[in-house]
Amino acid sequence: MLIPTILSAIVLSVTQVLVLVMLAPLIVGLIRKVKARLQCRRGPSLFQPYADLAKLFRKQSVISSTTSWIFTATPYIVFGSTLTAGLLVPVFVAQVPLSFAGNIIALVYLFALGTFFLILAGLDAGSAFGGMGGSREAIVASLTEPAMILSIFAIALTAGSTNLSTIVHKTALLEGVATDPVPHLMALAALFIVTLAETGRVPVDNPATHLELTMIHEAMILEYSGRYLALLEWASAIKLLVFLTLIANVFAPWGIATDPTPLALVVGGMVYVAKVSLLAALIGLIECMFAKLRLFRVTDLLGVAFILALLGLLFFYILQD
Amino acid sequence: MSWLTPRIGAQLVDLGSAMLLLTCFAIVAQRRLSACVDLFALQSAFLAMTATLVAFLTGTRHIYIAAALTVVVKSVVIPHVLRRVIERLNVTRELVMNVNVPASLLICGALVMTAFIITQPIISFGHLLTRNSLAIALAIVLIGFFTMIARQKAVTQLIAFLVMENGLFLGATAATYGMPLIVELGVFFDVLIAALIAGIYTNRLQDAFDSVDTSRLSELKE
Repeated sequence: MLIPTILSAIVLSVTQVLVLVMLAPLIVGLIRKVKARLQCRRGPSLFQPYADLAKLFRKQSVISSTTSWIFTATPYIVFGSTLTAGLLVPVFVAQVPLSFAGNIIALVYLFALGTFFLILAGLDAGSAFGGMGGSREAIVASLTEPAMILSIFAIALTAGSTNLSTIVHKTALLEGVATDPVPHLMALAALFIVTLAETGRVPVDNPATHLELTMIHEAMILEYSGRYLALLEWASAIKLLVFLTLIANVFAPWGIATDPTPLALVVGGMVYVAKVSLLAALIGLIECMFAKLRLFRVTDLLGVAFILALLGLLFFYILQD
Repeated sequence: MSWLTPRIGAQLVDLGSAMLLLTCFAIVAQRRLSACVDLFALQSAFLAMTATLVAFLTGTRHIYIAAALTVVVKSVVIPHVLRRVIERLNVTRELVMNVNVPASLLICGALVMTAFIITQPIISFGHLLTRNSLAIALAIVLIGFFTMIARQKAVTQLIAFLVMENGLFLGATAATYGMPLIVELGVFFDVLIAALIAGIYTNRLQDAFDSVDTSRLSELKE
């Protein structure tokens, strides 16, 4: 490990997670702002999501009397699993101190754990919308999982490891990419589609509406209010940011701090914020350019993601020489 | 250009070819015809980019002319003609398909693998900069061929034909650093004429059957 003392490792881990947690609502605000600007609206302030969260935390939450413990436990499980996933992803330092605890497969299934409990909670309240949203989420989740695993495997192969820290560190030092950019391109396209689907952005789900016919994520959390809703909203913002971090740092990690000197850390932090903001602006642009897909067309989009990831994997074996 | 080693050059050519394949899959997954035309124009632009790169890396001058012709003919003229056809026919999307989209995608994935398996023995003999592109070119030809079979509307079939032609051009560039200029000029002229004739044919089909579904042609009697 590069960082000598346990203390600095703890500090680094906590800082990385704090950055993720604190930056997540800002990224959501940025996407909304970009979207509003492109639609010739002024849009709410960048910091509106923070105000929303603060308001929700102050409010009393109403819980249906028919619900079980799953309903009240789910927000904590979702928030906790997302946060744990955040601990495994390199944010602005290539080597995460906790990287020994889990690799990309653990990351994928930590997200799957949150999704699973969200689906259960949607069913638990017994409302028609919750069940509908849960079944839709189950379709999307089961289709994104193979695409996500395969696209990350394509990257893992070029770096020769499934450990995220190793992948990012090697790519940043140009040890892995030197083989070929083609698998990376395919896997990047696949992972971007997966990100849109997993975080419920526009071609798959629309986070801005509560329309019965279209909603997926919103339908599952319809029964939540107060601090539970705040936790779920925050968790979904963090999930989005973790995915963007994954894309930014796995595919273009240049600028990330490869050694823990203060200068490298500052540069790494600034480059990280710039990259993530750029990706968020791209998502805002996509939300303006495309309409939401019909639910049964989502499978086509995810089919494209799966095939691209598969090709990425294939290209790695074919083009290596 | 000291940093532009043959190795990096070959990788850039691979990257350009992969972009072509990426747009191919987008065309297969797309149902809206106008988007298909736009994607074809984009694919031709990537093709011109790859050809320019090959011309620059190998110093083969006449490929520059072929790349410029690709931009003019395939990214501007033919898409323009196709948009006019779509506008006149008032067909916006492909509704009837012989093979549905997810199945087509899986089949296209299998076709790419087939193309790689077929070209594998040839690739290992080659010493050209562009040898990896040969497999991608074959894959694009196969995907174009499959799309022509799988779709029923004449406009999509025309786009699939043009995609196939793009694959052939990439293949020619990859296998031999481009055909002689006179051959390439002939091919461009042929493709342009073919696209125009297919456009007119599509219009006639619409007039005769009130549809551009090519399966209706089997109803024709003397």
